[in-house]
Amino acid sequence: MPASRANCFSKIGVAGASWIYLMTAAGRNLAVERDLRLDFFRGLALFCIFIDHLPNNILAAFTLQSVMFSDAAEVFILISGYTAGMVYSRVMEHRGFLVAGIRIYQRVWQLYVAHVFLFMIYMATVAYTVGALNNALYAEEFGATNFLGEPGLALVHALLLHFQPPFMDILPLYIVLLAVLPLVLAGFRLRPWPIFIISVALWLAVQFDSRVALPTYPGPDGVWFFNPLAWQALFFLAAWLGWRNIHGGVSWLNHRWLFWLALGLSLAGFLIRFNWTLHDFYDPIPVPISAKLLWPLLSKSDLGLLRFANVLAVSFLVSSLIHPQARFMAKPAAWPFLICGRNSLYIFCLGILLSVLGHLVLNEFFGGIAMQFAVSAAGVAIMIAVAALLEWLGATHDASGGSAVGASTARRGARG
Amino acid sequence: MIPVLLRCVMVAVAIGPISKPLVAFAEQECTVPERFYTFEPSLKKTPRALASGGQVLIAALGGASSLGVAAGGLEMAWPARLGAVLAEKFPSARTKVVNLAVARQTAKRAVERLDRDVLPLKPTLVIWETGTMEAVRGLDVDEFHETLQAGIDKIRAAGAELVLMNMQFSRETDAMIHFEPYLSALRELSDVNDVPLFRRYDIMRHWAEHGSLDLRTKDSEKRRQVAARLYGCIGRAMADFVTHGDPAAKHAPSPDIGR
Repeated sequence: MPASRANCFSKIGVAGASWIYLMTAAGRNLAVERDLRLDFFRGLALFCIFIDHLPNNILAAFTLQSVMFSDAAEVFILISGYTAGMVYSRVMEHRGFLVAGIRIYQRVWQLYVAHVFLFMIYMATVAYTVGALNNALYAEEFGATNFLGEPGLALVHALLLHFQPPFMDILPLYIVLLAVLPLVLAGFRLRPWPIFIISVALWLAVQFDSRVALPTYPGPDGVWFFNPLAWQALFFLAAWLGWRNIHGGVSWLNHRWLFWLALGLSLAGFLIRFNWTLHDFYDPIPVPISAKLLWPLLSKSDLGLLRFANVLAVSFLVSSLIHPQARFMAKPAAWPFLICGRNSLYIFCLGILLSVLGHLVLNEFFGGIAMQFAVSAAGVAIMIAVAALLEWLGATHDASGGSAVGASTARRGARG
Repeated sequence: MIPVLLRCVMVAVAIGPISKPLVAFAEQECTVPERFYTFEPSLKKTPRALASGGQVLIAALGGASSLGVAAGGLEMAWPARLGAVLAEKFPSARTKVVNLAVARQTAKRAVERLDRDVLPLKPTLVIWETGTMEAVRGLDVDEFHETLQAGIDKIRAAGAELVLMNMQFSRETDAMIHFEPYLSALRELSDVNDVPLFRRYDIMRHWAEHGSLDLRTKDSEKRRQVAARLYGCIGRAMADFVTHGDPAAKHAPSPDIGR
């Protein structure tokens, strides 16, 4: 943390630019001083996503969503967009459009394989429980959707990202956003304004017309839970900031009024949302600003205005107030967040897999709050352990030297 | 099995006060802890009319689970069981439960039917079981929210009391259907509109946690029997729910509430 307020404001001066890697002269050795905030808060978001996904989990009342209109999903997409914009546009500049495109599609492929793997687990669960036990309570509704009667078709729809069972809605969003990224980055270089206008126009179209959505199988009328036509606005805005960052930052982000605006928005968001959280815990607590009033602006599927504005405000505030190498992030307690954030692609996929398994465990054995704690803790521990292994592997890889170093750091930076 | 179309046609069945319990219930099997009954404010007109021996018409809206499909028919469904319990508890009241459920019905369809099939009956209380079809199909959760809000406003404008009921819980399907967004939409609507929410999902989860009413058997006859007991339990819990919070109703004789 900066020592004084004046110091703090000088940090605002580089709010855009301070989300950084400092570049060395050598083109190949890319990352020298890593912006630890990106890793730390992405790690935090990953833990929150996992905890929020467990059914009936009391701990979910203590994650980001209880103090912000937005939740960990927005934070994750924002940081991922920012990192991806920064890393891949640098690759694009040094190695060209084709290499950057291939790198991005390597990521897309990994995500896609993870998606298909999750789908296999889903189908195995379904085949076992419904097939063997002939589920009685939902026979009628499943009869209407009938994907068990046509597993071949269901499989094709899953491969086309059409079929999105529980927990399988975030990966498709991420896949689609990354898949478009090469074109968007090329657009940033050639002409950013058309990209900007299209992105905002799409987001607005989703806000005003609920028919602007992507269909899902088995339908009819099913839609993607995370509407990519809305969520792209957050991802590409963040990618643009990341892209600008390696070109000297964004000067208008330096204005002092922007800091106060962000502070005001974050504070208002906190007061209103936290009041709702308390009200959920204890009904007699009055609610001055009703959810009924703000509800149309709070859609998660469509990334409603308040969620969008809230995540931008809070992240701006965090980037202004916390130094990229702030001391608290060097403490041992911060290390699990850092390593999970640094290996976010793997830990993200692992987190979703663990959510599915945790769901099955909690619904089989229940066990109340103690069990919710135990499953949450076990999941987080597994995420940290796997991230630590990946770190260790990366370190031995780097130590083996040679050209692997550049590739490895670039790849690490690219974990978007 | 009755064909779906036929089932959709036989929607309106009135349960008179004389119907007897068809299944013997093991009462300990499905006690409901007090915490599932707390909501502010509670119903007024309905418990009062029941206690004072007035005329009470309850309209049940919903889908397959309100039709008692898994248990083998309408007389096994929770609306029928609710009617039977209320008749036993309040013998002097003229209680009638009309089952207007239609299998696979979305909230949107239910709202479209309000003017034609529901509100002309001038119900004292509407119990609206909803959300299942939306969750199974993955329909737009914001639209679900808007539709329910419109329905709530309409039912209240007609002067009826309203109880919302959420989905069923079952271990197998819980990992298969993304219920949470729809459950949370129902919670929120109940809260901001002060509409009591019968948390069937949580109540059934509580029963599953305590090992009762397990439907996981290959024996279809056994499964049918468990489903019948389950719907009986829901009916009784609902009878408790609608009369909860009214002192007059509380002191009425309650022969079969296993709490």
